[in-house]
Amino acid sequence: MKTTAVLSALLSVLSLASAASSDKKSSSTSTTLPATFRPPQVFKNANLVHVVSVEKNYVKENINVVIENIDKAAHDEYFVPFTADQLSRLGGVEVKDRKDAAAGPFVAEAAQFDQESDIQYLRIRLPQPLASGAQQTLGISYYLLKAYVPLPAAIKQEEQQFLSYSFSAYCPSAYTTTKQKTEVKFPSTNFPDYTKLPGSGAVQEFPTKQGSKLIYGPFDEKPAGAIQPVSVRFEFNKPVNHVSRLERDIEVSHWGGNVAFEERYALYHRGANLSSLFNRVKWQQSQYYSPTSFALKEMKFPLRVGSEDPYYYDVIGNISTSRFRSNKREALLEIKPRYPIFGGWKFPFTIGWNSDAKNFLRRAAGGGFVLNVPFLEGPRQPEGVEYEQVEVRVILPEGAENVKYQTSIPTTSITSADVEIHKTFLDTIGRTALIIKARNLVDDLRDRELIVSYDLPLMARLRKPLIVFGSSMALLVGALVMGKLEFKFDSRK
Amino acid sequence: MRWLPAFLSAALLAAPSLAAKKSAEERFTAFHTKSLSSTPVKLRDNTYRELTGAPRDYTAAVLLTAMDARFGCQLCREFQPEWDLLSRSWTNGDKAGESRLVFGTLDFSDGRDVFMSLGLQTAPILLLFPPTVGPHAAASPEPIRYDFTNGPQTAEQIHSWVARHLADRPHPPIKRPFNWMRWISTFVVLSGGLTASFVAWPYVLPVIQSRSVWAAITLISILLFTSGHMFNHIRNVPYVAGDGRGGVSYFASGFQNQYGLETQIVAAIYGVLALSGISLAIKVPRMTDPRAQGIAIFAWGGILFLVYSFLLSVFRGKNAGYPFSLPPFM
Amino acid sequence: MSADPLQALASAGKGENTRSLLRFIILALIAGAAIASRLFSVIRFESIIHEFDPWFNFRATKYLVANGFYNFWDWFDDRTWHPLGRVTGGTLYPGLMVTSGIIYHALRALAIPVDIRNICVLLAPAFSGLTAIAAYLLTNEMTPNSSAGLLAALFMGIAPGYISRSVAGSYDNEAIAIFLLVFTFYLWIKALKQGSMLWGALCALFYGYMVASWGGYAFITCLLPLHAFVLICMGRYSTRLYVSYTTWYALGTLASMQIPFVGFLPVKTSEHMPALGIFGFLQLLAFLDYIRSAIPGRQFQTFLWLFAGGTFGLGLLGLVLATSAGVIAPWGGRFYSLWDTSYAKIHIPIIASVSEHQPTAWPAFFFDLNMLIWLFPVGVYLCFQELADEHVFIVVYALFGSYFAGVMVRLMLTLTPVVCVAAAIAVSTLLDTYLSAKSPSPPPAHAADGGEGAGKKAAKAGLKSTTKPVVGIYGLWGKGMMVGAMAVYLLLFVLHCTWVTSNAYSSPSVVLASKMPDGSQHIIDDYREAYQWLRQNTREDAKIMSWWDYGYQIGGMADRPTLVDNNTWNNTHIATVGKAMSSSEEVSYPIMRQHEVDYVLVVFGGLLGYSGDDINKFLWMVRIAEGIWPDEVSERAFFTPRGEYRVDGEATDAMKNSLMYKMSYYNYNNLFPPGQAMDRMRNARLPEVGPTLSTIEEAFTSENWIIRIYKVKDLDNLGRDHMSAAAFDRGSKKKKAAKKRGPRQLRVD
Repeated sequence: MKTTAVLSALLSVLSLASAASSDKKSSSTSTTLPATFRPPQVFKNANLVHVVSVEKNYVKENINVVIENIDKAAHDEYFVPFTADQLSRLGGVEVKDRKDAAAGPFVAEAAQFDQESDIQYLRIRLPQPLASGAQQTLGISYYLLKAYVPLPAAIKQEEQQFLSYSFSAYCPSAYTTTKQKTEVKFPSTNFPDYTKLPGSGAVQEFPTKQGSKLIYGPFDEKPAGAIQPVSVRFEFNKPVNHVSRLERDIEVSHWGGNVAFEERYALYHRGANLSSLFNRVKWQQSQYYSPTSFALKEMKFPLRVGSEDPYYYDVIGNISTSRFRSNKREALLEIKPRYPIFGGWKFPFTIGWNSDAKNFLRRAAGGGFVLNVPFLEGPRQPEGVEYEQVEVRVILPEGAENVKYQTSIPTTSITSADVEIHKTFLDTIGRTALIIKARNLVDDLRDRELIVSYDLPLMARLRKPLIVFGSSMALLVGALVMGKLEFKFDSRK
Repeated sequence: MRWLPAFLSAALLAAPSLAAKKSAEERFTAFHTKSLSSTPVKLRDNTYRELTGAPRDYTAAVLLTAMDARFGCQLCREFQPEWDLLSRSWTNGDKAGESRLVFGTLDFSDGRDVFMSLGLQTAPILLLFPPTVGPHAAASPEPIRYDFTNGPQTAEQIHSWVARHLADRPHPPIKRPFNWMRWISTFVVLSGGLTASFVAWPYVLPVIQSRSVWAAITLISILLFTSGHMFNHIRNVPYVAGDGRGGVSYFASGFQNQYGLETQIVAAIYGVLALSGISLAIKVPRMTDPRAQGIAIFAWGGILFLVYSFLLSVFRGKNAGYPFSLPPFM
Repeated sequence: MSADPLQALASAGKGENTRSLLRFIILALIAGAAIASRLFSVIRFESIIHEFDPWFNFRATKYLVANGFYNFWDWFDDRTWHPLGRVTGGTLYPGLMVTSGIIYHALRALAIPVDIRNICVLLAPAFSGLTAIAAYLLTNEMTPNSSAGLLAALFMGIAPGYISRSVAGSYDNEAIAIFLLVFTFYLWIKALKQGSMLWGALCALFYGYMVASWGGYAFITCLLPLHAFVLICMGRYSTRLYVSYTTWYALGTLASMQIPFVGFLPVKTSEHMPALGIFGFLQLLAFLDYIRSAIPGRQFQTFLWLFAGGTFGLGLLGLVLATSAGVIAPWGGRFYSLWDTSYAKIHIPIIASVSEHQPTAWPAFFFDLNMLIWLFPVGVYLCFQELADEHVFIVVYALFGSYFAGVMVRLMLTLTPVVCVAAAIAVSTLLDTYLSAKSPSPPPAHAADGGEGAGKKAAKAGLKSTTKPVVGIYGLWGKGMMVGAMAVYLLLFVLHCTWVTSNAYSSPSVVLASKMPDGSQHIIDDYREAYQWLRQNTREDAKIMSWWDYGYQIGGMADRPTLVDNNTWNNTHIATVGKAMSSSEEVSYPIMRQHEVDYVLVVFGGLLGYSGDDINKFLWMVRIAEGIWPDEVSERAFFTPRGEYRVDGEATDAMKNSLMYKMSYYNYNNLFPPGQAMDRMRNARLPEVGPTLSTIEEAFTSENWIIRIYKVKDLDNLGRDHMSAAAFDRGSKKKKAAKKRGPRQLRVD
């Protein structure tokens, strides 16, 4: 798990250059740190605000830190520590300069060293080295998937679901932190249990409660790597949707002038299990009286306007419980699973739709084509959706070559990207398919775009009709010959 | 043969007074000896009570039946010979009485009170009284009851049923008497038929070889089969049934059932249709007289049309919601 | 004449090419119509496998495609008939799966990767198109004019009797078997007419294919010898007959013995003995024929014939003796039940319980064949006119086909082809007679002309009605009237067929359709809801107990091991399930534990008024169980003293305590206001308090309550028996008990 994570994190960076670049080349250039690596104490966190938001069924953490170079020389490598387990669940890391947004996202990559060690580091490269004594304000944001444990683990169908989340009151850092506080945002004001800490200074007990917020801190100076584990338990009476694997096919057809989307979801409810088995009577009554439940009943897919003829099925055929509203402004696909999905229940399904090519495809200046599609669509749920593995396959017409791609998905999340051959209806040499694998995405990243550029020579475009024509001709001739043969056979008797 | 049981049962009338204080053992021997001479033992109220009274160290199989024509119990009459056969072959097979089983028959006319006391409406009913004492004693003295729910049973079936309840005891097999009469008669008939055929051969031959005969046979059987005759045969459906208002309903309601008469009507309809079809296809074009031919066409065509429309209407009756029809039977 | 419609014209008159082209196009159109008329269900619902058996065939096909032919050949399936398992490869007719497997790979090779499901769904319609063509060929062998052939093809294409088993999605053996049946007959006639070994061999080849495809091959195995026998009795023995029959029998038997499921049956069982007997008899006849040609002398010949007859009789006797001695296996149950029609009902309730094994009432005939049913005798009669060998075949086929169809609804299928052929002959004769433009000159004219060329030959032939020569029709209006009438009948026929197909035969019983108040179609999909739930949220190897009807569906859709399924090869095992369902919890719980049952699935139509539910099938379970455990289960106990079968308050105790009853109505009364609980299927008012369960617990119930799944409890971990444990829980709700059962039923991954 860890190896792949780190390796792939590195890969993704380089894959930006050319999707076709192979793994070996990239890994050869990756920096390997010595096993006994300790981040050099060249920075200190002058001030740090750690925002932990548990509003959705994944954790979004935000670290705003003012770093100061306390070394003689200038440095441009800032390390953020994570446990190996966290790193495997870490996604969508983005680092910005709070002062000027123009600086754009900094390069952040998992520093590769001793796989056994429990502390791994995320290395942030500052665009230009920070001079001695200078300060810079970093905004580090990331998501943690599979973060909660339902507590109690099994409840009744009609009961409320509570989740608990454990983290460190002191923001884990590789550097001394002068001043910091940690802030937890809850979906509601109902969070019965949370760890209490002895206060310091004005406040005599942490945390302090503000509406649907808890605030630990401000704390005074803490050494590097200081940890203060705390855990909170809060009401979350919504499904905990977890897509363990999403396969998203985007098939471009020039002749059909059509782009076909198909998405295969492996959906799983990570919430509390049923303490006593499913009871239809209670369910029907609760539908009538108190509709809110932690079971997943419906999903809404806001598709791009102009999407048409959607379908929705699973391994044993079509599912009739879906509605599609399409008009000028919206194309909303509402689907119901075959059965309400409670904690621990699975429901894999497939949806797909078509769209006119001109919504996504246009000719580039250089003669090639440029395809601009959302990297990730999928349901928009108030409680959020997390995706562990995402595989996007862009299937280009036969003979497409010189494929490049660009995406606004955080690069740490992209694990691999390569070009393969995909054979399907009436293909001779097979279609060029760009396959991008990503991990630990969340539905906040919907509509991040994926731009694919490729060339398609005329000959390649003409191949299919020629092939079809030729083969049908051959068939005709064959039939005639057969007829002839039968004549002979007949007259011989 | 027939008069023997009656006589014995008459002789039995003496029994009960002293029977009362007989021990189980004695009762069994008494009944067993009786049964040896004639079985099943013909019972009356008192003898029935005596036989089935507790304590008993033997098993008693009693058939409660109503043979008298008044009751019109078809089942009873059908089953009686089988029952006699079973008891006879069992008793003969077990003269020493090791199986300790006594067969008895109680007719309604002889045992009204018993029927009343048991609260029986239906007959026949076979009761098997397990022993209450002795080696084979059963838990409850209550008799095991055999209902003839699915039709008349063969002796073999009852035999297996009885044998099941008489575990670890000898089960004398059923010996169906060799039916000489049947064999002789069949032999006679066969030989007679052979000679007759030899004599009549020259006359029979043309009939056998005549195509029309075979055609007729074929068509008739086809009509029979396609009009659901086998269904009647298997389900033995009623010939006709009265509708609620005292009239006769010729056509059973519902797609899945039919009456005997109904199928015959349908067969007739098919027959008429086929006949008109045949004559239109074969006879008519061979007519040399134009007028006659015209009339024939008109007649046969008309019949065809009418009968077919009638058939459709009948079918609509069977299958509600069937949309198609022809005039005049709309 | 040859197999190709293009040459059907090789013998005909002028304007040949255009005619042949027309014929070809018409045939193509008919095939198209045959296919199109079977697609109702795909258009209304989706491309889905129908009913029960097809789900097994589908599963087997997927296995074949995934694991290759040889693995399929010796496939031991441990996910059915738990714990016995089933030697599936050796106990099925592989023809269907192999066919679709070949098609699948062929399309792959052509770079057309069609989903195997779609191939399976559309196989039956495709083959029905072929069947229409085969019917055309067969009919062409009967009459010289090919209009009869085209009509036959049309009838075959749209006759509901055949559509009933070949709509898109009914992926069953019959789908291809009927084509093979008709085509084998065609080849047989061909071989017989020409006495050609080649055709005989082809016939044998397709016979082998048929054997590989459907148990109904026995019909051919008995019909061809019968035909041969009848011909011999008519004194029509000929070398043609000898060559064709012996070729067919020798090769065909060899071919059929290649199928593991058939194996040595062809030489062991009675069904196959007629074929063998006739084979031997033919050898004898050939020998005698040879001798006779060598030795003249009247008496000697008669002696020879007597000798022949004698040996035949002896052979028959020997056969009977061998059968009674047990050297030859007696008739198989299903097959025997065709002769002794009451056999099944007494001895094999399982066979009797299958609805398609019931006898056929007359409406079914009319429903499936409409006007063909009365044109059928006409055609047969016409066959008597010129009674050539092939016509004899039609007659024999007609007789036996109609008998079998009368005994068993399902065998309507084997009757349909001959009905179509005969009816086509009749209709074409009529039309030819009344459509011929030119009228004969007034009498006495012997215009030897008219529709069927049979006329002149018939003059010397036996039928009394055809002694006079054909004259033709004088009056135009007469022609007009008849033609008009025929047109009306044909039109009506087409309407009927379409109506029947769309209303009766096009629903995939897995999905139920109902009409909303606003007329829109509402799909009731409970089966798949429940099966999908099982598939996703139970252990991979959780054993499901249900009545055998649903075994194949559970195997196919829920992909879980089952105890019994629709391949009812083990009566005892089925009876075990029947006993578990029809006994009280105390009795059935040990049974379920012994068979490692995890979930029990029942079908309940009470809420929706769905007739095909388990309570309606319950009596069969009881009967089958009673057949094995007469002392423990008795059908009588489920009838009220007044002999009624009730589920309401009046129900007998045996009924109320039976597991099936409890599982069907458990919790049901909570849906209604107290005392209002209604069973809409049997419209019975249910008792105030519903049944209570202690050894099993409700695990899932589908949206419309059609499918209910129960989980078999583990042994109580406090060592109590379940009755007391459940009573305790009911009495004082202990959290502990609930907790204990909580985590076990989820799948952590």
